Amino acid sequence: METNGPGTTVGVNVALSGTLKDQNDISVFGMVEGEVISEKSVTIGQTAQVKGPVKGELVTIAGVVRGAISASEKLELLETGKVFGSISTKNLVIHSGGIFVGKCEMPTGEETVEEPEPDSEIESGDTPTEETLIPDEE
Amino acid sequence: MYYYIMEPPSTRAVRQTYQKLRDLLTNLGIAGEMMAASPARTPEELAMMGLERGYSTIVAVGGDAFVNYIAQTIIGQAVLGIIPIGEAQQSAELIGTNNMKTAAEFLKFRRLSTFNTTTADPDSLIFLDAVVEPPKLAKVSFVIDGKLRGYAYFNKMTVTRNLEIKIESQHLVEPKKILGLFSTGGTVVKSLSQFHGRNVRLTTEPDLALLVDGRPVAKTPLQLRLNPNSLKVITKRGSIL
Repeated sequence: METNGPGTTVGVNVALSGTLKDQNDISVFGMVEGEVISEKSVTIGQTAQVKGPVKGELVTIAGVVRGAISASEKLELLETGKVFGSISTKNLVIHSGGIFVGKCEMPTGEETVEEPEPDSEIESGDTPTEETLIPDEE
Repeated sequence: MYYYIMEPPSTRAVRQTYQKLRDLLTNLGIAGEMMAASPARTPEELAMMGLERGYSTIVAVGGDAFVNYIAQTIIGQAVLGIIPIGEAQQSAELIGTNNMKTAAEFLKFRRLSTFNTTTADPDSLIFLDAVVEPPKLAKVSFVIDGKLRGYAYFNKMTVTRNLEIKIESQHLVEPKKILGLFSTGGTVVKSLSQFHGRNVRLTTEPDLALLVDGRPVAKTPLQLRLNPNSLKVITKRGSIL
């Protein structure tokens, strides 16, 4: 059975546009304008500039990314890395010197707990006293 | 019975090797029809003759470029056997030996492996690695599977049977001068890129030849197409590679 290739490497003097998708590892050291998608790891090297979303299991950034990054396992922003865009990952490491400008979402798998509704509405004029805010001591 | 096609012997030593091979194949009981290519009878013509005579296994005896020519002619119609002789490093790696006697024994045991190939339109086949090596840094533009476009500068570009494109470059970045007098020394920038796809369009500036073992098989611009599991070859171990 033929493998799905040895992975993709974008060298330092290469410029790409479009969707770069591989089932194996992707390493980028050049310029990419478009999506970078791997089912395994994505490495954005120090010389790389990516303009577009990056998606992978394990994403390591040492270059510049302008776009949303999604790492299903771990995202590591190295000291030379710059990210301008949103991040979504379970495990985030930002090294000292790394630049991140954007929003970060970290799904934990836990359900969000909403504030319980009060049993009865406090009528206007009924100001809660200090006693009502202190839980009963057993 | 096998049909053997031999590369024209370049030296007396190779001619003697062919004689030893005949004896070896006879002793193994797999001596078949043996044809020697020549300027008057090209390997492609001989391979076509073998197919017309109904042979289901055609054995290429020679170097990498010769093996690639035979593969191109028989693909999809016969099994390829290989006895690597001369400049046959890739063929030797592929079947698992560079020894003539061992290769002949592999033919006897007939274990088949299936390989991908790549077609360079209109009719050139890449079974063994093909390279483009311009005399100086050249530009290549490519479109992979219609969804990824790009360009690069290269000193060497390799196209494999699995339709992997390896682009290598090495160039000197000019040194910077300080106060117009002193230079800081240039730096060598090396780059290695690797892509793969099922349909790839390659264009170079200028147009360049694609070579297998130093012999041209096609010329840019190239439209390359992957042919999965398209060629059966007798190797050390049977498998799909």
